[in-house]
Amino acid sequence: MRFVAKQPKEGINVSDTHPLVEAGTLVVGLTAIFALIALVLIFMIELALYFVSTEDEVNLFGDWLPEDLVTVAPDDDRLIETQLLVDRLAQHWPESPYTFRVEIDDSDVANAMALPGGLIIVTQGLLDQVESENELAFVLGHELGHFKNRDHIRALGRGIVLSVFFAVATDGDVAGIGIKATDITLRGFSRRQETQADEFGLAIVNSEYGHVDEAWRLFERWDIDDSSIVGLVTYLSTHPETGERIIDMKRQAETEGWLLTGNVTPLNW
Amino acid sequence: MDDNFANLELFLNFGLPLLILMVAYFIGDHIEKRHFRDIREREAKLHDFPVVSFDTMPDDWKVGRSDMVTGSIVISLDYFKRVIAGLRGLIGGRIKTYEPLLERARREALLRMTEEARSQGYDAIFNVRLETSRLANARRDGKGVAGVEMLAFGTAVKFASRFANS
Repeated sequence: MRFVAKQPKEGINVSDTHPLVEAGTLVVGLTAIFALIALVLIFMIELALYFVSTEDEVNLFGDWLPEDLVTVAPDDDRLIETQLLVDRLAQHWPESPYTFRVEIDDSDVANAMALPGGLIIVTQGLLDQVESENELAFVLGHELGHFKNRDHIRALGRGIVLSVFFAVATDGDVAGIGIKATDITLRGFSRRQETQADEFGLAIVNSEYGHVDEAWRLFERWDIDDSSIVGLVTYLSTHPETGERIIDMKRQAETEGWLLTGNVTPLNW
Repeated sequence: MDDNFANLELFLNFGLPLLILMVAYFIGDHIEKRHFRDIREREAKLHDFPVVSFDTMPDDWKVGRSDMVTGSIVISLDYFKRVIAGLRGLIGGRIKTYEPLLERARREALLRMTEEARSQGYDAIFNVRLETSRLANARRDGKGVAGVEMLAFGTAVKFASRFANS
């Protein structure tokens, strides 16, 4: 036998597909699959909302508190005042099936949440930032709006969708991509709900005080801080841009003929 | 409600991995192309050196001395390849981004073995075998892959008189 020197052939073991084409196909394909699953799950949540009445919700979650909640003492001034304010505002929504409970979360980030069973959580950060009762009343009215539209259950459903995806995708990097894609899609739904909650909150504030002065002053202060941020953010955010929210609310007040100025109630603490 | 906070969080969760992914792709691609160029050049230089996988020596090789030679390389995945392979892992199929990586490892290991044999004055290698092993990633409790080792080994021989029978 004779040895004949030959160069190995190229490309037998390596696919011709360009890595970026492979990446593109996978990302687009999997995003489509993830989106489809997310839509099916959202549809199922809507279906569940249709069958589970608010009364059932109150029965199920009436005493419920999130486990990771770091709350304040029950005799805390701000807790009592906020609870009283919520009770007053709730009188303008007489058909509400909820008995609203307020809890304060020990977090520096200004935020408020509507949770199942009529639980409203406001953060220390928010209470530090509000400068009048009217400002706080609008935030609370906004949360009542979430209860009215049952967004708090939908938000819970979104959380479930995301955790399902977490469970399915085991690899950290990959799970991240799919979950983020889903999250962004869901935030689109979320922004529309926020606008509706704003409308309800403003109506409640108007019924309570007879005017909407200072209702969105908190947002105006935030908007000034926000102005340095670029446009992509709106698309990614769970809430509409603060500037747009203010414009929407002003338009609503004008259409409804609500007074834009009036006596502002100071905070009780 | 705190948009600034959300933006920062989004950048850290979404923008940064994407940026790292892109950087990893360009650097990884550059290194891979350069490696393949280098492999081709060195293979061209060694193309007349017999490297065969027979486990017994061909009858016409009259051998003076022999020894085992090895060549090994440890090669790592880049972030881009790992992410794309991870996506592929969800649905199955050929992990196309790993193929060139392992191709490089095989050819590099064979080259190192052959270069070693030639530098020691041998004329050919027979009974060539390839072995591979996974290096576990200590950072992920040994679950992840830090890289793979490709080991080529064979019996290098020095001919007493080359191709005596032919």
